[in-house]
Parts: sequence; structure tokens; C-alpha cells
Amino acid sequence: MTTLIILFVVALLTTFVGFFAPAATTKKLTLLGMLAALVGLAFTWGDNVSAFSGLYRYDVFSQGVTLAMIVGALLALLADCDFFERKGWPAFEYYALISFAVFGGHVMASTTHLGAMIVGLEILSIPLYALAASSREERGYEASLKYFLLGAVSAAFFLYGIALYFGSTGSFTLGAEGKGLIFNAAVLMMLAGLAFKSALAPFHWWTPDVYQGSPTPVTLFMATAVKAAAFAALARLVVSVGLGGPWFYALAAIVLLTVFWGNLAALVQGEAKRVLAYSSVAHAGYIAVALFGPNPAPSMGFYLLAYALSTGLAFAVLAELDDGKGVPISELAGLWARSPLLGLGWLTALLSLAGLPPLVGFWGKYLVFVEAAKGHQYLIVALALFAAVIAAYYYLKLLAVALFGKAEKVKPLKLAGSAPVGLALGIFLVVLLGVLPGLTYKLLTLASAVVK
Amino acid sequence: MIHVLIFLPLLFGFWVLLAPQQARAVGLFGSLLTLLLGLISFGGVLSGADYAYQTPLLREAGVYYAVAWDGVGAVLMLAVVIATFMALLAAHDVPPAMVGLSLLMESGLLGILAAQDLLLFYVFFEATLIPSLLMLGLFGGAGRVRALIKFAIFTLLGSLLMLAGILAARYLGGSPSFLLKDLLAHSLGGGAGMWAFAAFLVAFMVKTPLFPLHVWLPDFHAENHPSGLADVMGTLYKVGIFGLFRWALPLFPAAFAAFQPWLLALAALTALGAAWTAYAQTEWKRLLAYGALSHMGIGALGIFSGSAIGASGAIFLLAASAIYTGALFLFAGGLQRRFGTLELRPTTGLAKAAPALAALGLILVLAMVGLPGLSGFPGEFMNLLGSWQASPIWTFVAFLGVIAAAAYGLSAYQNLFHNAPGKPAADMDGVEWQWGTLAVLVILFMGVYPKLFTELIMPGAKAFAALLGGGQ
Repeated sequence: MTTLIILFVVALLTTFVGFFAPAATTKKLTLLGMLAALVGLAFTWGDNVSAFSGLYRYDVFSQGVTLAMIVGALLALLADCDFFERKGWPAFEYYALISFAVFGGHVMASTTHLGAMIVGLEILSIPLYALAASSREERGYEASLKYFLLGAVSAAFFLYGIALYFGSTGSFTLGAEGKGLIFNAAVLMMLAGLAFKSALAPFHWWTPDVYQGSPTPVTLFMATAVKAAAFAALARLVVSVGLGGPWFYALAAIVLLTVFWGNLAALVQGEAKRVLAYSSVAHAGYIAVALFGPNPAPSMGFYLLAYALSTGLAFAVLAELDDGKGVPISELAGLWARSPLLGLGWLTALLSLAGLPPLVGFWGKYLVFVEAAKGHQYLIVALALFAAVIAAYYYLKLLAVALFGKAEKVKPLKLAGSAPVGLALGIFLVVLLGVLPGLTYKLLTLASAVVK
Repeated sequence: MIHVLIFLPLLFGFWVLLAPQQARAVGLFGSLLTLLLGLISFGGVLSGADYAYQTPLLREAGVYYAVAWDGVGAVLMLAVVIATFMALLAAHDVPPAMVGLSLLMESGLLGILAAQDLLLFYVFFEATLIPSLLMLGLFGGAGRVRALIKFAIFTLLGSLLMLAGILAARYLGGSPSFLLKDLLAHSLGGGAGMWAFAAFLVAFMVKTPLFPLHVWLPDFHAENHPSGLADVMGTLYKVGIFGLFRWALPLFPAAFAAFQPWLLALAALTALGAAWTAYAQTEWKRLLAYGALSHMGIGALGIFSGSAIGASGAIFLLAASAIYTGALFLFAGGLQRRFGTLELRPTTGLAKAAPALAALGLILVLAMVGLPGLSGFPGEFMNLLGSWQASPIWTFVAFLGVIAAAAYGLSAYQNLFHNAPGKPAADMDGVEWQWGTLAVLVILFMGVYPKLFTELIMPGAKAFAALLGGGQ
């Protein structure tokens, strides 16, 4: 409960304080609020609480996902300060919207009741439609509108699924007994709705355009926190119905399509944010691989955290380079020479995303693949691993350009504001959790860490 | 002690990277300290210690930080610390970051040799790739990005497949952890064992390397920094034979038995084909790359024979070639410095102008050719002896490769030193005397008194042969 209350208070506070105080104060307040939520999370870690007659369910899985979301939000906030100050955008709402989105994501991750889930989903999504357009430029509007329309479609899918679910089982709570055509259709529709949100192929079409068009810190937040929340709901749905029946094939098809589509499409992109967008699609596929195991919660939680750190770090680097028009790959050249911190961040982030030990991304991949191996889905593991080799190519290409490419403009980049803190923190955590993965994995495997 | 030895180069490596002013001094001091620690540890292993240590790294998933020096690991460890020191001594004109990256690689290599947990081994194996890629990418020649992508994709293809194999080996085999002893007790057979073995095989064939997964190697050496430092570290990183010996074959004896005839053929054809190709090269580094490839083919033949004598020959060859191949790459660096090119043609007739350099070159080339009394011979001999029992025909084919070594090695030497007198050039300078003396001493010692090393290798090799159910 503590975490929920803290997040709610932070959302309200940032909204009202924003009217009276300068944006910088609101920014600090939001950062403090997120840290407070982390503290609340730490003190209640391992609790297994059910409140509001089962609407709210606070267990280790929701704690893990919330941790990943807060890490994503923190990185976004730290990276964005400089970004927005540089552009001079009067965007205090920005911080309130982020707070609300984290709150909504937490609700979505901490419930097995479909009604509460859709409420959480909407609290999460609506701020993001506004955030996508927060640059108040043509591309931002386009991204926002696309995101809104497809988000509405996905919510409609999800709602229709809920209606059918209620129709066939008489219950709004996941885990109700059900069978027959209507029930299967209900599960498939909910699956499709959540697949939209978590950017699983073939429901990922919006991802590259929206990621590219949104301001980079917002993209960072979308790629980390939103994905974490969507996957929490997806995991609870899949675990509640089990993996028999038609949705096994549906999920297997979705996962394999996602890892290959994401990675192959990333190969041919010319803009760094689009490459990372497709890479995030592929990573959604890897995360979903864990769903084939008997107890996906700990490995998914770890992967979400690892992914939030690595992708967050990569987008934080891009946020420094982006002047609102995206970052063509050729513009990365000479990054190391222009700013060693950015170069180091880029290096750690991409190697971690590629899954090289001793960085955190490796343990994430390792744990989800082990999980699926425990569920005896070796073919899926092998194919997903093969897709990961394809991914190595474009990560290395991005890396090679940044580190070894000859720069046309060698103007050194000066980092200002809180960006260096965010970058250093990200690098530190990616390496630390890579060397000592037990630090967090231990937390995620507490006895109560089972999704129900 | 063992942790200090493994991670000391890492510390010095970061020191050099963060404070590059005194790169050479710090790098030399670090690698010298590592060398001394290595010698002390080696002495300890000789008198029966194994420095074993283990603690859980990821207890819930059965991953351990488990390290030890067995005889085989200790011999190769010694080769790594000597070769790294020698290379850092020789490469006095490299950018500071290269020194740092070499030390990082040394740490990774020592970890590879010491790891007693399969996943830990994998972590070290992959982590070493990062500095190696950086070294190639940052300081390589004009075609470096192409060479880098080739190298990285081959390595990653192999190692990600191996990761799938690792998971299969543990979870299908029913082992409680990734520790070597647990995995050996729960060996995986049947069809799944075949697939898992094949996955390991691809990874180690890339890193041995063996035909047809060797195509990254010539580009890797040709495009790397001309000083030869990166080539030495790259040579040390070719741990495929060790991987086969320690992990792939013992874990899947049944699958290996089924694959054995094909593998012997592949190894022998690599030995001969690479020697043939080496003969046609007109550039020193490419010639050396193919020559080393041919030797690795012979080593793989010894491993694939499944016999104790063949396996110990392979390990000995691996250790010896780390020194003489490394020294040859450094020698090539010296030539590059003198002539600005590594083409074999324009640098003829050097023996008059630089007699000491010619002598050093001759010793190194003869070690590569496998002259008795130098370090190349015992390994090759034991390899061929072991593989003769497994397959006389393929041994004969590989033997042709050994003969060809004399052809390409000596003709390259002749071109370089003994044709019509060419351009004048400086003889060996102080630095070259230092590393050259070190290399020659080690090569002579390993050639004259191989017993010291083979006795350490033998128990491991016998256990290896017993696991495979093979000869003496």
C-alpha cells in the first residue's frame, strides 16, 4: 500500500505545485517523489498484500515491475532536464504526466482484476499521448496522434476481451474457470490488446514512428516503463489461463515473429532512434520467451529491469545528441572523442543490449532463456538465440560508428544539468548488476514470487 | 592468490585506461607482477596445490564463481602471462589505450583458464571479446570495420549457440549446477546430446579455429595494429582447443564418438589446407595467420584422437605456439617499423645488414617448423603420435601439413634474409634484444625440457582420455 500511496501523492503534488512553482522545482519534486517511492518499495519488499477486496494486489512481481518502471522514470527525468532546458520548453506538465503514468503503471502491474487493470492502463496511456506531443512540433503531433489512435484500438480490443471474459466466466478476476469458443476469443483479444501496448509483432507498427517522433526522453520512458507495465499485465493474463490450447500457438507465433521482425527491420534503419525502436520490439520478444516457463515472474522482472537500464541508458545518450530532428546514424561518428562519458554510456548500453557478459543484459537473456528451457521449449529458445546473433550486427554497427567513425564535426559536447548524473548512474548499474546479478535476482525469487 | 592473479591485470588495465600518461611503465609493471604471481602459482601447482575456491554467484540459478589451477590450466596460464609480458615489452610504440585493453584481455584469458563453472567460463569467454573488438576497431588498419564485423559475428554465432548448448547440458542432463564436476556426473547423451555437442563444437571451432569457420582469422591479423601486440593477444584468445579439452568433449562423450571420424578429417584438412594457403601468401601477417591455423589443425587432431598422448600434445602445442607465434607477430611488427610494409618481396637480403635480427628470425621460424630441440617439436610429435592410433590416414594428411610448414616457413625466411642484398636496415635495438632473449629462452626451455610441462598436463589428459573411453 505504501508504494501506491506515495506514487499517488507524488502525482497530485507535482500537478498542483506545478501551477505555482517554476518547472525546475517541479522537476526536483518529481525526482524526490520517485526516490521516496523507491524507499517505500524497499521497506515493503516481499510483502504480499491484497486490498480493496482483491482489486489491488501487491506482490513481489508487482514490486519488481514497479522497480523497473521507477528506474525508467528516473533515467528519463535525469536525461530530460538538460534536454528541455536546452530547448526552453515551458513544460511543467511534463513532470506531472510522468508521475501519473508511473502511478497508472503501478496499478496495472498490481492487480488481477480486469477492471482495475484497464483503469491502470488508461492512467498510464493518456499522459503518454500528451507527452509524445510535448515538443509541440509537427513530428510530435504526428507521433501523438498515431499513438493515440492505435492505443485506442488496443484498449478497445482489451475491453471487448474483458466483456467476453465476463460473459463466459461471470467474473472480472483473472484465474476464473472458463472454456469454449467465447472464452478463447476473450483471452486472444486481451492478448492482442496487451501485445499492442508491449509492442509485440504483429502489433508493433506504431513503435518506430512514435519512438522517432516523440522527444527522446519521452521515448526513453515509453521504451522502459510502459513496456514493463504492459508486460506485467500480459504475464498475469498468460499465467492465469496456462499455456494449453490455442493461445500457446498464438503466443509462440507472436514471440518468434517479434524477435525476427524486430531484429531484421532494425538492420536496415538509417536513424538511431528507429534502430533502437525496432531493437525494443525484439527485446519485447525475448521477454515474452520467459512466458513459456513454469514460473516466469523472477526472470521477467529481472529482464525488465536489465532492459530498462540498458535501453534507458542508450536513449539517454541519444537525448544529448537529439535536437528534435532525430539522430541519423552518421551523426554518431566520433562520439567518443566528443564526450567520453557519452561514448562510454553508448558502449555499455549497446553491449548490454547485445547480451554480452559481464553486463546486465546478458543475465537478463540468460534467465529468460533458462526459464523457457525449464518449460521444455527448446526450439523457441534456439530460434530466439539465433535472432540475437542478427541483433549483434546492428548493435556493433551503431557502436563501430560511434567509436571508430571519423567525425565531421569534432565540436566537443558539453553535458549540463542532471544528464551526467543519469548517465553515470546508468553505466554504474549496468556494470554492477552485470558483475553481481545475484543482488537483484535474489529479491525477485523470494518465496512469494509467483504470479497468480 | 588465484583471485589476485586473475584480476590484477584488470586493475592495472583500468589504471592505464584512466591515467594514460605512464602507460608503458604501468603496463609493464602490471604484467611483470602478474608474471611473477603466475610463476609462484605455477610452482605451487608443481608441488601439488590447486588453489581451488568457489562461492555462489547466482545461488538460485546454480551459478558459481569457481576457479582453480589444475595442471593443464597452470601450463596455459604460464604461457599467457609470459606472452603478455613479452608483447607489452616489445610493443613500445603503441597508443596507451592498447596497453590497457591488452591487460583487460589478459584478465579475461586467465579467467577462461581457471573457471571451473561452465557459465563462469562463458562469461569470461565473452567478456574477453569486448577489449579484443575495441583493440581491433580503435587501432586497426583501413579495413578494420569489415574485419571487426566478421570476427564479431563469427564469435557471437558460435557463443550464442554454445549458450543454448550450455542450458541444454545442464537442464536436460539434470545437473544441479554449472560446476564442472556436477556436469560431468550428469552427462547428456542421445539426440539432445548430439545437438548440444554440435553447438559447443561450432563455438570452439570458431575459436580454434578450424575449417570452415576460420575465415575471420586472416583479416583479423592483417587489419590489426602493426605493432603485433593485438595479434599476440588475439593468438592467446584462440582458446578453442582448450575449450574442447576442458568442456565440449568430456561433457558429451557419446556424441563425440559419433562425430569423431568427421572431426579428425576436418582437423587434418585444416592442417594441410592452411599450410598450403600459407605458402601462397606474400604478406608476413597473413602467412603467420595461416601458419598458426595449420598448427591449430594439428592440435585439434590430437584432441580429437581422444587419447591421452594426443590431448597432452595439443595442450603443449597450444602453450608453445602462444609463445612462438606471438613472438613471430612481434617480429613482424619490427619489420613493419623498419620498412613500413609487410610484403615479403622488397625486404630481401637482410642477413648482411642485420645479422642478429636474422638469427632471431631463424630461431622463431624453426620453432614454428617444429625442429626438435625447440618448443614446436614435442607438441606436434605427441599430437601425431596420438592421432596415429585413431586414424593413420588423417595423420598422414596432417603430416603433409607439417612438412609444408618447413616449405612456407623457410622460403619466407629465405626471401627475407638471404636473397640478393637489399636495402640497409638497423639491427636489433635494445627493446628487441630484451623480448627476443626472453622468447628464445622460453622456446629453448620448452624444447629441451618439455617433461616439466607434460608431467603436469598428463594427469588431466589421462582423465580426459578415460572419460572418452579411449586409449592410454
